[in-house]
Amino acid sequence: MSLLAPAFLLGLLAVGLPWWLHRLSSDNPNKQKFSSLMFLEPGEPRRVLAKKVQYLLLLALRIGVLVLLALAFTEPAIWRTPDPAGDSDGARLHLIVLDGSASMSYGDRWDRARAAANDVLDDLGADDRAQVVLAGRLFEVLGPATADIAAVRQTLNTAEPGVFRLEYGQLMRSIDGLIRTAELPVVLDLVTDVQAPGLPTRFGELAPRRPAEIVIHDVTDGAAENWTVDSFGASAVSGELTASVRSYAPDSVTRTVTLTQNGRTVGEETVEVAARGRADVTFPALELASGSNRVEVALSPGDDLARDDRRYLAIKRPEPRKVLIVSPDAEGRAPLYVSAALETLTTLALTADVRTTPLGDPPLLDYSFVVVTDVGLLDAAQATAVQDYVQNGGRALLATGPRSSSLTALPVTGQALRTNPQMGAQGNVAIGEVDTTHPALRGVEELRAANFYRSVNVEPSEADRVLMRLADGTPLLLERALGSGRVLLFTSSLDKEWNDLPLQPAFVPLMAGIANELLGGAGFTSEADLGSALAVRALGFAGGQIFDPSGDKALGLGAGSDDVLLDQVGFYEVVGGGTSELVAVNFDARESDLAPVDAATLERWKGLGVRPGETAAPVPATASADRVPSSLGPLLVMLLLMLVVMESLVGNWHLRIRRGVAA
Amino acid sequence: MPAGSAIPQHLLEPETLAGLANLDLVARAVVNGFLTGMHRSPFFGFSQEFAEYRAYAEGDDPRFVDWNVYARTDRTYIKRYIGETNTRLVILLDASASMGFGTGKVSKLLYGKFLAATLAYLAARQHDAVGLIVFDDKIREHRRASTRGGRLSGVLHAIDRAQPGTGTDMKIPFERFHEVEHGRGLVAVISDFYCDPDALLKSVQPLAYQGQDVILFQLLDPQELKPVMKESALIEDMESGQTMEVSPIYMSSKYRDRIAEHIEALHKSALRAGADHRLVNITEPLDSVLRSYLLFRQRRG
Repeated sequence: MSLLAPAFLLGLLAVGLPWWLHRLSSDNPNKQKFSSLMFLEPGEPRRVLAKKVQYLLLLALRIGVLVLLALAFTEPAIWRTPDPAGDSDGARLHLIVLDGSASMSYGDRWDRARAAANDVLDDLGADDRAQVVLAGRLFEVLGPATADIAAVRQTLNTAEPGVFRLEYGQLMRSIDGLIRTAELPVVLDLVTDVQAPGLPTRFGELAPRRPAEIVIHDVTDGAAENWTVDSFGASAVSGELTASVRSYAPDSVTRTVTLTQNGRTVGEETVEVAARGRADVTFPALELASGSNRVEVALSPGDDLARDDRRYLAIKRPEPRKVLIVSPDAEGRAPLYVSAALETLTTLALTADVRTTPLGDPPLLDYSFVVVTDVGLLDAAQATAVQDYVQNGGRALLATGPRSSSLTALPVTGQALRTNPQMGAQGNVAIGEVDTTHPALRGVEELRAANFYRSVNVEPSEADRVLMRLADGTPLLLERALGSGRVLLFTSSLDKEWNDLPLQPAFVPLMAGIANELLGGAGFTSEADLGSALAVRALGFAGGQIFDPSGDKALGLGAGSDDVLLDQVGFYEVVGGGTSELVAVNFDARESDLAPVDAATLERWKGLGVRPGETAAPVPATASADRVPSSLGPLLVMLLLMLVVMESLVGNWHLRIRRGVAA
Repeated sequence: MPAGSAIPQHLLEPETLAGLANLDLVARAVVNGFLTGMHRSPFFGFSQEFAEYRAYAEGDDPRFVDWNVYARTDRTYIKRYIGETNTRLVILLDASASMGFGTGKVSKLLYGKFLAATLAYLAARQHDAVGLIVFDDKIREHRRASTRGGRLSGVLHAIDRAQPGTGTDMKIPFERFHEVEHGRGLVAVISDFYCDPDALLKSVQPLAYQGQDVILFQLLDPQELKPVMKESALIEDMESGQTMEVSPIYMSSKYRDRIAEHIEALHKSALRAGADHRLVNITEPLDSVLRSYLLFRQRRG
């Protein structure tokens, strides 16, 4: 008998519970005889831990139920001789599953994988059939199950590894459908480099849901050494570029990291990478060409897995933009802090105008976004002007201050203020929650070092998304869509009257994030995950074309779908409306770790399958030929149901006695 | 013990009587002690005081014919004394399992046996016919009422043999009584009466219609009347064997109310059936119970 998920045997520990419960007795040891129960009424029974276990039959039934339940989860199977009608001549279907993940392109692994698959075909019996499956991100069945070995060989020769990673648990789930519909007993020939990171969290997921022999053809050839650029990014504040080089090798090496911009080498650094360690390389900010720039880093010398030696980043050169800062005092600290912070962001190329009113010349529409340092200063006309500006697609950052503290509702947004608008006035309050999933706050650190003395307490509505809260729960930064535009509301001041945030190092990154968000772009840089979908509309295009990294058209005008699957590494270009945007797609860094599954785990995995013995290399002595496992699940479930019914009857009988009901 | 000898009152205590060897001795001790103690009591009928003459009728014991009157008048008259009525007493003794309950030396059944023996002895002493039915959920012993010599001895032995049995069925003894006893007389029922008062009423009423005078002695232990419990206990019914967890709070409050209501309901049912009801705490001396009986007999006789 074999247990497909033996870990569930831990469930047997649960039998201790009924054992303990059956020692719990409501029988009062103080037992007294009395003439009659005629005038007595039962009181609350006392629970005591009896020395002896009671109701042995009931206990046995309950333990039986738990044992069967645990066994049912372990998916036990017994060996049996298969029905001759289904396996008349010992014919089998060999499902040759080729690991098509990116790591299979390491060295000559793919050649050895083809050779291993051909070996399987060479050993096929006269009545056997074969079918080839290429497993990567998708599960591609390359042709039907056939006895035509030549056709299968031809199919094998056309298969190539992809750029995705393979997760073995998902593979076993996907292959279940093929096993279920197979007309012959299945031998699962898995040709793979058995990458340890591909193992699922639960080992039981590696078990086939239907009986099948598992033969693993390991195509690794000794220890594999690999170095990769596992991250590459640019600072939105300084524009500096940082690449991280990681080693999956036992020795430290020296590698050269080359930075190219639009195909031209603009930087080169040599870095010492420790054995199985990581080293960072920083390049100064680039002189960006107008529009999007193709920036990539590459490791040299290369290794046997060339795909992860390179990493891509699309960086947009910002157009000079103007920002309007509206403040009651043009010479005050708030406009000073905000304008200084914004103008520091060289990546955004912002220039700030400071005025005491939003009305005037140039009009609001000339500005990329507006900052109001104390929204309380706006009279009705000014508030309406800002409101119209936002509703027509403008963006605004509204802050509060002393002029806002007497308001009951905020101008522009109309958000209600609670009766006590100065919550947090008692003592210092730090920032509590930060929604780091929001683009404006991603990567902004050390915000909690700031102290807040006062804030206005806004009642958030369903239209508001609270991005930051103070430690006392008061919303600090809220986002609200208003017409076609968007408003960010900061419920404290932007000077140092109500907080010391402008004096903290986190202020500039926070303003950078907020400015990035208010500028309406996806940010200074543009990236997307390999395997994700890219929608034209997500980049702000009403329509357009998408070209993949090889320059082919991935999505044309008038295409039925707006989405393109990003299945290549490199730069995707979206063209439309006279402009273009680049999206960088990079290799999955997890695929760079080539460490194989250890031998013991591999043996356990093989043990999850059927081992007929004819074709499997390691045949256990206990497994005999022509025997296949038969699941005991249905039998266990029937037994379980019987025990549950019996337990109910016996339990009810005991209950009748306990209640004093005549049996 | 010779009749008429003085017996200290404390010897009538149930616990003292429990030390006596046999029931005959107990009965004699109780009755003689009781009669000694009731000197100048209203129950002078138990002396040999002359009351009246009555014409001899066939069946009368010739020993009571006054031969002097016969010599003078040539007529046969029977001499009658006060308290001598030649009635008949049938004792119905409950020997169910619940009667085996008792928290002291004397269980309800033992007390009932003392009482039954005493009543039997007292009746025999007055030349009353004495009968006995011992029952639980069926008839265990049955001695028809008779004044024949040695009858008392048979009745006392039958009482002595009574042991706690099983359940109680109050209909059984009354039905048997109704079948076999036809003349008027006294019926003393000794039981703890754990039964439905209305059902008991239905059983007793036919006897009343028959002209029987019925007295119900309800024997209860002090623990049944005013139970004292320090902690919750698992109470087992002595007749059914069923158990129940009972709290001390309930026993000291609600139970007392319910048993008092039951006794009251039993009392009313007895009155409605024309019977007397006497609640007996089995720690109380037998003489007060005998006094109740004699008052009852005097009233009915």
